[in-house]
Amino acid sequence: MPEVQHSISGEYHGERKPLFNLAFKTALLTAITLGIYRFWAKTRIRKYIWSSVVGQGDAFEYTGTGLEKFIGFLMAIVILAVYLGIVQMILFYFGLTLFSEPATQAEMVGQMLAIYITFFAVVPLIFFAQYRARRYKMARSRWRGVRFGMENGAWGYALRAIGHWLLTIVTLGVLLPRQTFSLEKYMADRTWFGDAKFEQGGNWTRLYPAMKHLAIGLVILVGGGVLGGVAGSGAIMVIAGIVGYIWVMVGLVSYRVKSFIYLTEHKTLDDTVSFEAAPETSTIVSTVIVGSLVVGLIMALVFAVIGAVFSAMMGPMMLGNSGAQVVGVVFLVALYVLALAMAGALSLVWITQPIIDHIVSSLKVRDAEHLNDIKQRAHDTGADAEGFADALDVGGAI
Amino acid sequence: MGPVTGSFFDGQHAGRHRVEVTLDEGAGTLIVTGPSLSAPLQWPLGRLRALEDLARDYSLTLTLHAETEDEAPRDPARLTIREPAMTARIREVCPDLRKRDLHRGTWRKIWTRSAMAIGAVVLMLFVILPRMADTLATLIPIEREIAFGKSVIAQMERALGATDLGDLRCDGAEGRAALDRMVARLTEGQDLQYDLNVQVFDHEMVNAFAAPGGQVVVMRGLIEDASGPDAVAAVLAHEIGHVEARDATRIALRAAGSAGLLSMVLGDFTGGTIAVVLGERIMQASYTREAEAAADVFALDMLNEAGVDSTGMAEFFDHIDGLQGDFKIPEYLSTHPASEARAERARDNAAEQGATTPVLSEAEWQVLKGICG
Repeated sequence: MPEVQHSISGEYHGERKPLFNLAFKTALLTAITLGIYRFWAKTRIRKYIWSSVVGQGDAFEYTGTGLEKFIGFLMAIVILAVYLGIVQMILFYFGLTLFSEPATQAEMVGQMLAIYITFFAVVPLIFFAQYRARRYKMARSRWRGVRFGMENGAWGYALRAIGHWLLTIVTLGVLLPRQTFSLEKYMADRTWFGDAKFEQGGNWTRLYPAMKHLAIGLVILVGGGVLGGVAGSGAIMVIAGIVGYIWVMVGLVSYRVKSFIYLTEHKTLDDTVSFEAAPETSTIVSTVIVGSLVVGLIMALVFAVIGAVFSAMMGPMMLGNSGAQVVGVVFLVALYVLALAMAGALSLVWITQPIIDHIVSSLKVRDAEHLNDIKQRAHDTGADAEGFADALDVGGAI
Repeated sequence: MGPVTGSFFDGQHAGRHRVEVTLDEGAGTLIVTGPSLSAPLQWPLGRLRALEDLARDYSLTLTLHAETEDEAPRDPARLTIREPAMTARIREVCPDLRKRDLHRGTWRKIWTRSAMAIGAVVLMLFVILPRMADTLATLIPIEREIAFGKSVIAQMERALGATDLGDLRCDGAEGRAALDRMVARLTEGQDLQYDLNVQVFDHEMVNAFAAPGGQVVVMRGLIEDASGPDAVAAVLAHEIGHVEARDATRIALRAAGSAGLLSMVLGDFTGGTIAVVLGERIMQASYTREAEAAADVFALDMLNEAGVDSTGMAEFFDHIDGLQGDFKIPEYLSTHPASEARAERARDNAAEQGATTPVLSEAEWQVLKGICG
């Protein structure tokens, strides 16, 4: 089989208008169907985004169906209804039995925490659902007609994720790189493209440089607080608070970007194919800021106009007219749903898509000629088709 | 028509085949040839399907309808064509290009899974969780329940605007004594499980509530608006009914189990929050309406035992009815039964009551009204 260049650069071909139309239309359908259409909506948006990602002229394909997601969701509901209902109530009961007379403010807070203990019933399931969701997305992704795939391992992932999170929390974040690296390695080492296996190389300690800005932000935050406290200066505390907060936020993005680059560049496929990634923190941060401003501006403009027209037309009629009041309320609810649908679609095309575009365009596949030799892998049923993730509302923008 | 060039992926390997595509409308086939293909492919037009929702919609990616085990009944092979005239012609002559095919047995799967999911949720919400809540509510140690109730009251106080705990509590000594006499009159000779802790909050709301563990709070607004001491006694008796039935604890337990369930089912879709709030409201309302009706029955019994005229209760419900004005919440949304019906039951009861005496003397009533100073 002929011609594949030695290296392939990622391209992104998605556009604003068609994706906005698709997202807006499917969001309205979702609202009309009381949420049932959300599985099809998500599937159709994925089909668009996957097909926008192109390597050497060949687009990715998302083969999932809304129907299998819906059925998977129903299955997850049966299990979760029983599990969550019973476990949450029992945990809440034990939360209650921990109660004693709340004498101080601190004890009252403690008691409220005891009530929110129910949250912990969900934690292992969230990690489980995260792995399952990634496995499903992999199983439904194809490039050049060949499937990606991931092995079983959701419970193993959930266990490890809980352990790593506990370690990270106990060490006040010092072991965050170890968590990031190990969890990604667990998933990457179980990922396949056709009959070719991915492998995560590298070492977790090499992720520490990625934490630089996060650390600087924390130092400003803590140092400024201490300094301000010692000097008795509120101004220092406020300035350090604002600067430190922004620095930490940007530092978090920077950590994710830099660790993504390191992890990507140390992945291999079949020990042969390797990858390059060069996304920029500054581009992502500015995309988020500019995107949010644009979305906010468009929303404000559109709804100021609708609101003005509405109050000019309906305002006088509604005085003392209960029929018109009902119409008014219905109109406001419709407006609210419309606003949510529009905000979702706008942030998809102004924030999410540009970020995907930036990351995909920065990717490079080296020694790609080996891809020609890769054979198809067997179909994966997809298990719950992300049903647990949908029921627990786990998962990102797309 | 054709031939035009295209890219073909055989679904077995990741290598790309450069192919020539010819549309033979007479034979009803699409013919795919290429040097790397072992033999030319003949794709019947009736089985051709196109991928949808694609970003680059100027290109057409085709596959075949086939009974495979894949997520959709599709052949794994893919053919992509860009040439505009050819893609336009294929879209014209292939009627089923956009057809959504389902695997056999899909509908049965949808129905059985839907029935199972709905069954599980309904069973949990209406049978298992309420039963469990009832059982757990009786298992919980009373001192824990009291502690929980106190923290509920403390939260309530904060929500009503108290900056420090205890700010809202009215404790005029004489008023307190009158209130205690009222409680004593009502509970005399009754075998209650809980030690009652009745308090008055300095707030204008016309309301009263029972928290777990025997805590009852009456708002100043209710005492001021009441037609007389008998009305306040009726409200107290009603709240004592809740206390004895452990309603607050049961409802808190139920809510802990059902809240997560509902938001899970309805999901986080656009406008979903409205649906969740409404759904929870309906659920909660049907739970509590029953409890309210039971507490009314309990209150009437208590009033009869204590020889207190239940006309006060009827007057109170009339008053509540008046407060609601013309705009009424439909009963299925409301946590309380309709006020007219409750007033009527109290009046019917009053007609059959034996000798009654006011629960407090006029002087004591005036003192109670001034409990908040």
